[in-house]
Amino acid sequence: MTASNETQELKDRLGLIESMIAEGRRTTSIYGWTFALWGVAYYVAIYLDAVLHFHLAWEVTMTSAAVLTAILCKSRSCSHPPTTTGRALGALWFGTGFSMFIVLFSLGYSGRMDLPIFVAVICGMLGSVNAASSVILKWKLQFACALVWWATTIYACFGKGHYLMTVFVAAIFFCQIVFGIYLMIIEARHRQQGAAHA
Amino acid sequence: MPELPELNPVVHGKLRLALLSLLSGVEEAEFTWLRQRTGATDGNLGAQLLKLEEAGYVSVKKRFVQRKPQSLYRMTETGRQALAEYVRALKQLLGGAISG
Repeated sequence: MTASNETQELKDRLGLIESMIAEGRRTTSIYGWTFALWGVAYYVAIYLDAVLHFHLAWEVTMTSAAVLTAILCKSRSCSHPPTTTGRALGALWFGTGFSMFIVLFSLGYSGRMDLPIFVAVICGMLGSVNAASSVILKWKLQFACALVWWATTIYACFGKGHYLMTVFVAAIFFCQIVFGIYLMIIEARHRQQGAAHA
Repeated sequence: MPELPELNPVVHGKLRLALLSLLSGVEEAEFTWLRQRTGATDGNLGAQLLKLEEAGYVSVKKRFVQRKPQSLYRMTETGRQALAEYVRALKQLLGGAISG
């Protein structure tokens, strides 16, 4: 074997190490569908509440979405190994989701909730969790989503009431539906690259 | 002239190196996931994992999930050190070649 062949062989080994480490870490970004699912769930809840005037619209829809997410996560996580980053992100989203449920459920049943408070709480919490997640993943696009949520929170506190629902629906569209579909496209590309690599 | 480092032969095998690299990025991984990622056959994968286990670089936990046997592999601290030393040695051997 010549010296240049040997060098190439060693370089290939280094490339193999890098690609395999990246392959293992890639398993943390497989939840793009959850963003889209929760975006749709918010829309369903808004429709049931605002159009059909269903009293328990948010409680029922959010609980159903949480159960559906848990079932789908469990079935999907069977084929993906756990990573420390994945566990940290899971804890973050679980904690935020549970806090939102407790706060909104309590506000709803105590009769102290109105639309601005509701939107301010939801968007403030979503801003926090997206910002924390973006720092963990070093991802500017997710931080941009956090900024949109925080801007909606500020609007809910200071803006005009009759535009609030439109602003909230638009924030859901960009930060949940569009962001979720974008993530799903990235994941599909990664899967294709993985299949080509194999 | 400084002496060039030896590459650890247990880590140097291509499939074993791929396995250690994969396991370094996750907490633990199933046999089927490792097979899917490496594209290795069951026999070859099992043999290479056994070598890594004998060297103390990975540990295995066997269990039954819905009556099906499942093998979960995890990288040990010794394995992590061995991979780090291997990468260091590789970079030293390559010298300036990796920047080019």
